[in-house]
Formats: sequence, structure tokens, C-alpha cells
Amino acid sequence: MSQTPTDIAHDAIWLRRDAEQISGSLPPLLAEASRLASTVAMGVHGRKRTGPGENFWQYRRAIPGDVLGQVDWRRSSKSDRLYIREMEWEAAQTISIWADDALSMDYKSQKAPRTKAERAKVLALALSVLLMKAGERVALLGTEAAQPRTGETQLRRMAMAMAETREDRPDYGAPPPDRMTRGGRGVFLSDFMGERDAVFDGLARAADNNVSGVFVQIVDETEESFPFDGRTIFESMGREVNFETQRAKALRQAYQDRLQERREALKLTAKRTGWQCLIHRTSDSPRQALLWLYMAIGGQH
Amino acid sequence: MWTLGPVAFLNPGLLGALVALPILWWLLRAVPPAPARRAFPGVRLLLGLRDPERMPEKTPWWLLLLRMLALGAAIAAFANPVLNPKAEARGDGPLLILMDGSWASAPDWQDRLARVSDLLEGAERAGRPTAVQVMSTPLPPEGLRFRQASAWSQRLSGLRPRAWAADRTGVLDWAEDSDTDGFETVWITDGLSQDGDGPFLDGLAEFGPVSLIRSDRTTLALTPPKFEDGAVRVEVLRAQTDRPAPPVKLAAIGLDPLGIERRLGEAEAIFGPDEKSVEVSFELPLELRNRITRIAIPQERSAGAVTLSDDGLKRRKIGLIAGRASSEEQRLTSSLHFLRKALEPSADLIEASIDDILGAVPDVLIMADVGTVSNAEREKLVEWIEAGGLLIRFAGPRLAQSGEGRLDDDPLLPVRLLAGGRSVGGTMSWGAPKSLRPFPESSPFFGLSVPEEVDVTSQVMAQPDPNLPERVMAALEDGTPLVTGRSQGDGRVVLFHVTSNAEWSSLPLSFLFVQMLERLAVSTRSAAPEATDLEGEIWTAKSILNGFGEIVEPELLPGIDGSRLIEDTPSAEMPPGIYQAGERQFAVNLFRTGDVIFPLGTLPAFVQEETMGVVKERVLKPLLLLLGLGLLAFDVLATLWVAGRLSGPRAAQAAGIALALILLPGQMKAQSEDDLAIYATTETVLAYVRTGDTRVDQISEAGLKGLTLMLNRRTAIEPVDPVAIDLETDELAFFPFIYWPISEAQELPSEIAYAKLNTYVRSGGMILFDTRDANLGQSFGMGTPNGRMLRRLAGRLDIPALEPAPLDHVLTRTFYILQDFPGRYARSEVWVEAAPVIEEVEGMPFRNLNDGVTPVVIGGNDWAAAWAIDENGAPMFPVGRGAGGAQQRELAYRFGINLIMHVMTGNYKSDQVHVPALLERLGQ
Repeated sequence: MSQTPTDIAHDAIWLRRDAEQISGSLPPLLAEASRLASTVAMGVHGRKRTGPGENFWQYRRAIPGDVLGQVDWRRSSKSDRLYIREMEWEAAQTISIWADDALSMDYKSQKAPRTKAERAKVLALALSVLLMKAGERVALLGTEAAQPRTGETQLRRMAMAMAETREDRPDYGAPPPDRMTRGGRGVFLSDFMGERDAVFDGLARAADNNVSGVFVQIVDETEESFPFDGRTIFESMGREVNFETQRAKALRQAYQDRLQERREALKLTAKRTGWQCLIHRTSDSPRQALLWLYMAIGGQH
Repeated sequence: MWTLGPVAFLNPGLLGALVALPILWWLLRAVPPAPARRAFPGVRLLLGLRDPERMPEKTPWWLLLLRMLALGAAIAAFANPVLNPKAEARGDGPLLILMDGSWASAPDWQDRLARVSDLLEGAERAGRPTAVQVMSTPLPPEGLRFRQASAWSQRLSGLRPRAWAADRTGVLDWAEDSDTDGFETVWITDGLSQDGDGPFLDGLAEFGPVSLIRSDRTTLALTPPKFEDGAVRVEVLRAQTDRPAPPVKLAAIGLDPLGIERRLGEAEAIFGPDEKSVEVSFELPLELRNRITRIAIPQERSAGAVTLSDDGLKRRKIGLIAGRASSEEQRLTSSLHFLRKALEPSADLIEASIDDILGAVPDVLIMADVGTVSNAEREKLVEWIEAGGLLIRFAGPRLAQSGEGRLDDDPLLPVRLLAGGRSVGGTMSWGAPKSLRPFPESSPFFGLSVPEEVDVTSQVMAQPDPNLPERVMAALEDGTPLVTGRSQGDGRVVLFHVTSNAEWSSLPLSFLFVQMLERLAVSTRSAAPEATDLEGEIWTAKSILNGFGEIVEPELLPGIDGSRLIEDTPSAEMPPGIYQAGERQFAVNLFRTGDVIFPLGTLPAFVQEETMGVVKERVLKPLLLLLGLGLLAFDVLATLWVAGRLSGPRAAQAAGIALALILLPGQMKAQSEDDLAIYATTETVLAYVRTGDTRVDQISEAGLKGLTLMLNRRTAIEPVDPVAIDLETDELAFFPFIYWPISEAQELPSEIAYAKLNTYVRSGGMILFDTRDANLGQSFGMGTPNGRMLRRLAGRLDIPALEPAPLDHVLTRTFYILQDFPGRYARSEVWVEAAPVIEEVEGMPFRNLNDGVTPVVIGGNDWAAAWAIDENGAPMFPVGRGAGGAQQRELAYRFGINLIMHVMTGNYKSDQVHVPALLERLGQ
């Protein structure tokens, strides 16, 4: 998609508005993502879970089955019971994020504040910011930043990759074939409107790699409510697919049924592979989605 | 030009394009409305779905029809249609325009003239020689002459309808006598038939084509009034019975006692279907009936709709006085019996004493055998006679014995009488009874035939006198006067030298007696007079009717023999009107009782008929083009609707807003009025005046919210959320306290609003005026715009005298003790109702002011801004700086609380000055 002067102006306004946060070359997208992340990160301390780590987490009463070497004798000596010293989980994970950048994600109805793609990118980056703060390694599938890394450089690389517009994007996206780190977590941000097989194959492949994670279906409000009527030719964003109806209104129920069916399938796939599903509308606040995502990745769901 | 009914097309060729409409129909049918193209990612989910509804792939027929109509309208428009096109020249050659010009043409005379003018214009354009002839006017002796049409146009306005019928036959003869080749005739008829209509039209047809223009009015006429069964009756005639006629109003018109013409009575005629005439009666008291001069249909301006009344309508009042008490008499010998019989059918008789009769102002007084009259009565009688009364006396034994008028001229007798009298032909006398001489020419009885059987046996005798012969009105064979009379002032005195019963003569038994009384105008004609009655006298017109039914002065009309008045129909020589001969009046009306008028019968086929109305030409092109455009605009909407683009979120919003704009305001208001009343009366509510300045209103609301919160927290007054009130519409009585911030944006309240405010202020409400300008102008109403606005607003409020709040005002201690009333600004004066002047008592901290809550508090401290809180309860505006500011805000709240306390408790705190005294008393 070529960038029209309007888009550039739009970006410029965005840039200026966030000038305080972005110092220098930080892309505007990253700035917004950071800001979004900061609203969530404020209340989050560590992983809040026991696990392998260096920091003390809690003492707990020893129960049958605990290994004797884990008993903290110093604590135990203060009472008649045995206590085990637990550490906070700090192991770094690899999170692979796929933010769909197909043409279909560029859709934005008149009332929506952002395109679906923008929302996906902001969510992806904000999540990355949060995760990197927690020390996780993040990979952005299908881009130059596909190699899982952590730190400011990786963040910037991701932001750059997202900000630039790829040539010859397909109409509908499918999870890229990039190899995902075994045992890591995956976050797929897409509208999942593409051809059923292409989408679900990608999801199955990810599951095969023993990657668990989250599907986020980002939809525009009109894609759910289908507020059209009259004789209409519907076209995909790239005009590859089109469909003509005599009376769009009459198809509303059928369309919503199909959408529901697609979501059910998505949820079923998720359930089978141990993934989780979130449906996010661009008209909603991204903060909720981000919080949910962060919790989901953190394993608190 | 091609004519279709009342529409003509100037370019009829273009109408051929209408043939293309069916082709267009077929073309348009084949093309469905273009679909909308939408980019929509969800399209993949749609693939494979089937349309459950077949939606207009083809244009629906009504939309097609709409477009056809639009196109048709456009085609028709460009064909230049003209409504009511002016008829083009009828032909060439001379044109004769004949107007009936009768009374029946009068009501729509202007229309007729307009029509003629129209015809003349056409003739002028065509250059046709023209003649215009009104058939009721005298025909020009030089015969039918055609002139330029423009020459006639100038004369047109001088044409008048006449009060008689058109002389159609005469016109035909006149035209035939004239030396003309042939001409076209346009006959503007009054729509009434005459005897010679058929030959008239045939005769005209010999000269050339004949066309006829007639109006569609119903012609109405009146027959002369007659008096029957105590009511004046008139018949309303109508010519055209083929259409329903609205009720016709009639008015009886006459002079009132002041001589001003008035409607004395009104009646209504309602025609049944096919009825040609309806009788209408006026029931009027005698006095009014006698005054009627004419009866007219006011809505109909024509001579036919006016009918004049003459003496025939007037029933005279006749006083009868007998010299003897009549009670003991035989009826047939009573001196009044024959008079009664003769006069009753046509006059109103009064029998009473002379005084009473004179009081009733009779036209005639008949004294039968009255001897002496007292001097007082005599004077009155003479006065009455000289004012125009007619005194008729009959002789008799009493008069003969009384010796009246024997020595000198008695004003109550026409001649001097000889003592006694004479009897002839009786058993004790010579000779035979005398019969009458034929009446002399000078006598009012001239012309009456003298029956042979009338003879006189006794009479009183007149003294020979030089004046006697001219006073004799009737005499016996031997020349002795039988009836004498003389003028006395404006009136007359007549003496019959015989009795009014059959004792002295057989005269009262004959018909001559009645005729003589009639001729004396004692009894007026009861029915229409016979031709013979009027014969021989020359009648002159006193006033005549013109064609429009107006009464005008006659001009140079010759006298007419009486018989013609009855036998001839009114004409130019004898227009309808009032005719006079001596004392008597006769009304010549257009119609006689029993006349009927008929509409023009069936016309021969060669006569072309047109209606009367002159209709303006009207070009229809713009109208049709507009119609086409309108249809196209509608087509746009309809097409959108068909394509489903009229619905959808935005359309729904637009429609919703439009609907709301149209429907809701009334309902919302009604709803909110009730709600407001319930809300304001269930709880204590503070109110503020909605100024129309949004910012000010917001601050007022927030301010009162803040004050409400503080009151709830600190005091027992627990108001609920404040409300805004509209002075024009809302009821104020529900609110104990109204905050009124002054804003220049506010419009001055209406009179009704001021009335409400005044009621509110008088009945115990309080208004806090806040100029919000810290009173920078130093004095109210000066300096600041808000101050001036306050002046204007409060100028018409019923506010008592004000003073700056004194230090001991009750506001300073209703709840908190305060020295100042700060708001967002401090230290500006606050004005309250001036207290009555009361001496300060030494040792008392406060003056003893016990009565009244001030109805207004006026200040400029912008209290609402100091009180205002936002949604979170935080102050909206900074007040002062630092701790001092916080203190000022606190004081502002305290002022607010004090104020509301003052509103709620009145002067309760002021009463507390008595507390020490009360306590002391209780202690004892």
C-alpha cells in the first residue's frame, strides 16, 4: 500500500503528539506501544509465580513429596514445622509474535479509530515492551526481527519492521512458515478472515512445535454487525475475491453465522492445542486487550 | 397550435416524442440499478451464500413509471402547452357583437364587458370591422354600421344594462333593414327566453355564423309585493331550474322615522328542485309594513331583483267615530256598519274616542253623524287636518240639529250648512227621491259610473256661497251638493250630506259607495287596480329603476296613460318605477304576480355556444418542467431506497434526528414539565435560572451542586440535585430559592414570566441575583455590562426598597456567624431588602427586626463559581491563593448555607434576641 500524503500527515501529527516520549529516532509506533505498555506495567511486579529464579518468593509448608534438599532449615528451626523456600519464576521465555500485515488488516470502517493492522502492531509492540522488561525474548515472525532476542535493539528492530510497508502483501494473511522456538509461546494477531485451510494449517504447525499461546482475532465493528444493505458487490481489500449480492441486508444473519462458525473453529483449534483465544474490536480500548494478553502470556489465565 | 380540451400546444410536433416512451420503458427495464462496490475483508465468509430475497434486479415498475412521468412531463413542457388559450380569430369579415343588456345582464355586467373587450381585441388583431349593439337601448337610426374595433373599445365603459328586456325582434329587423352583406354574430345573451328567439337566431344565421355566449348564473326575479293574510308576500322567480340554487335572501327596505333607508325585514327563499318560484312572506308590524318602499334581493344587482311597492301595500289607519252610542242599535242600522264593511278588507280600523284616535295618528278620520265637538277636540282635529289628515264626515240627524257651521265657516265642515235639511220623496214630502248626476271632470270621482238605483231621500243642505260650486264633488240631479270637500292646510275635509247608513239614502248599499271611498284614498286598492281604474289619468314617473336595480331620478320621460301602466310591459318609454297621478302612486314593476321567467331554450345546431368566463391564458411550460424536476428528485430518493442506501446507520441517524426535530420537542417538554414538578415537590431543590449562556449555566449547576453537598453534610437541610428553570415555561412556586446569574446572553423575560416572578417574590420566594463581576462598577447598574443587564432584568420586578446588607442582618447569623458574604470575589456590597427604621436599643446586639425574609439578595461575588464542584467533588475554580483562598471558599459556602437557612427558617434567628428574656421568664 502506498502512503498517501494524508497518511504521512497523520503520522506526523501522531509523532508530534508523542514527542516527549520518543526521543530521536524511535518510531511513533514504538512510542505509542511504550506508552500503552507503561499503563499496564505499572501494576505488574515480576511474574508473581513460583518457579526457577533468583529472588525469594515465599516460604511454604513442606508437604509430603517435597524434596528434602529444598527445605530451608534456618526457617524451619524457628518452628516445629518444615518450610520450603520458594523462588520467583524468572526463567526467560521466547515469545513469537505474528502481527498480520495482509491487506485485509488495512480495513477500517468510518467510525473505527484505527485500522486493524495498526491495532495489531500497537498491541504486538506494547506486549513486546512489557515482555522485554520482564526479560523475555521476543521474535516478530515474518520480518527481519524473526530471531528471538531481547532488549532495546530488538524492540527497535521490531518497530522498524512494523513501520515499513511490505510490497506485494497478500489479500489475507496466514501464519508465516518461520520456525518457532520449541516450547516457547506464540501470539498471533490477525483477523483470521483468510482461506480456512491456509489459516488453520499455520495454526496447527505452530502447535506442532509444542508452542502454546494466544490467538487474537482483531475485527472491525462492521465486520461483526454487517450494517450493509442493497445491491452490493463486496470485494476483498486486494480485489482478488468479490461477491455480489442483491440485498446485503438479507445476508446479515448468514454472515454472522459464518463468522461465529469461524470463531468456533478457531476456539476449537485453540482448545485442542492448548492455545487461548481473544476477540478484539478496534473500537475497544487496546489497554484491556494488552492486559489480557500479558496475563495470558504470563500464564495467569 | 393544437388544442386538447382547455390546453393548446404551441409545438405539438414535439409531442411525437411521447412515442419513444415505451421504448425507453423497455430500455430502462433491462438495466438494473448499479450496485455499490464495497471493500470488505469479510467477503470470504460470504462466498457461497445465496440471496434469500430476490431484490430488484430490474427496476420496479413504479420507479419506471415515475421516470416515465418525469420524462413525459419534460416532453409535454417543451411542446409549449398553454392553458385556456385565447381563441384566435374566428374568421374575417365584419363582426357584430350583440348584447342583451337587459336587467338580467346586470349582475355580471362587468364580466360581459370584459368578454366584449376580449372579442374586440381579437377583432382588432384580425383587423375586422366590428359593431357592438346593446339590444335594450334605442337602435341607431342610421342602421348597422361597422367600425374599427378600437373605436368600440373606448365606448365600452359607457354601456349600461337597462331595466327592461332586450328588443331582439327589433334588432333583427334593424339589421335586416340595414344595408349589409353578411357578418358574423356573437350574441352575449342574458339567458332568458323571449317569444321570437327562434326567428331571431334564424334571421342572424342568414348573415353568417352565429355564436352565443351565456353566463352560468341563475337569474332571479321578484314579483310585486301583495298583502294577504296579514303578511307581505313576494314570489321569487328563477329562470334556470336545472341546477341547485342556494337559499336567496330577501330584504324589505324602507325609510325609518328619521328618513334613513333601512332594511325593515329579511326573509329567505329556498328553492326546491325544479321549482320555478317560491313565495316568501314578511311578517311585519303595521307600522313597518307601511314603510316598505321596495323589496330586493341584495346579492343580485338587477332591476328584476327589486320590486317596488305603491299605495297598495299601505293599509291605512282609519279612525271611526259615531255620534251615537252604538250599543243599543240594531247592527244593520248602525251608522258605522256600512263603513266597516266597506273599509275592513283594505284598512285598519280604529274605533275609540277622538283623543285616542288622534293619538294613533290615523290617515283618515271618519265621523258619522257627529254633532258638536268640544273646543279642545276641535283644536286637536284642526291641527291634525292641517298636518295632512283627511276628515270625512257623514251627515245625520245630530249634525242637522247641532247647528254647526251655520253662522260662519267651520274648519271641520267644507261648507256652511242650512238649518235642518230636507227630505224628498218621503211620505210627508213632495217629489221623488233624487238620484245622482254624473260626476264632473273636476271631481275626484270623475269616471265612476253612477248606478241608477242610488237615490237620496234626506240630506243636509249647503248654504249657497260663492265658493260652493268648486267645493262640490258630487251633486244630485237637481244640483244640490251631495258630497262637498275643501282643503284645510295640508289636509282635506269632506262631507257626505247623507248618513253613512241606509236611512237617508241608498248610497251606502251600492258599490259606488266603496268606489267613492277609494277615490278619496280612504280605502286604498286592496288588489291590483284594474286598467279601468287608472284609465284617463296621465301618470308621470316619480322615480325609476336603472338596470342594476338602483332607484334614480327619471329623465325626460313623457307622461303615460294609466291603462298602459298595467297593460304594457316596461320598456324604454315606461321604465319600472313609481308613477304618480295626483295623490295616488302606482308602482310599475318588471313582473306581475303569477309571472314566470324561462331560460333560453334549446339552440339550433348552427349556433356555437361558449361560456361566459374570461380566463387568463396560462403558459404551462415552467409548471411542467418543475413537475419533471420534482419527479426526478423523488426518483433519486426512490432509487437510493431501492438500492438499500437509504437505510443504514447514517441514514437512520439522519432520519432519527429529523424525526426528533419534528416530533420530540413538544413531547419532551410535556414529559419534563410533569417530571420537574414531581421532582421539585418531593424534595427540597435549589434552582437556578437558565440564562442561555452555556458556560454560565454549567457553573450555576455545579455551584448549586456544591452548595447542595455542603448543606447535606453540615445541616438538616438536605436538598437533592439542583435543577435549571426556564422562566417562560416552568412553574417557580416549587422552589424556595432561585439563583439568577446575570448574563448578557439572557433575553428579557416576557410579560407572563415577569408576572410569575412577581408572584414568586411576593409569596415568599427568594432570588439571589449575582452579577459575577465583583461589583466593579461600585454601584449597581453602573459601569459593568452585567450591572446594566441586571437593571434591565430587575426593572420590572416587584422589588422592595433595598439597602446594603447591614452588619446585624439576619443573614449574618442564621447558621454561621459571618461578617462578610464572599464568593469568588470578596468585599463587595450585598444588597437586601431595606429594614424598617427601628431605633437601636442600647445594650442589644441586634436591632429588633423580626419580620420578613428578604425577597432578593443582590451581589456580584460570583458565588456559584466559589461553590462549584466537578464530578469528582473537587472545586472547579480557584478562589484566592493558598490557605487564604481556602478560607474564602469556606466562607462562601458558609454564606450559601446561611442564605438557604434564611430562606428556610425566615427570621427565626432574629427572634432569638428574645431568648434571654424568655429564659428569664421561664426561670421564674
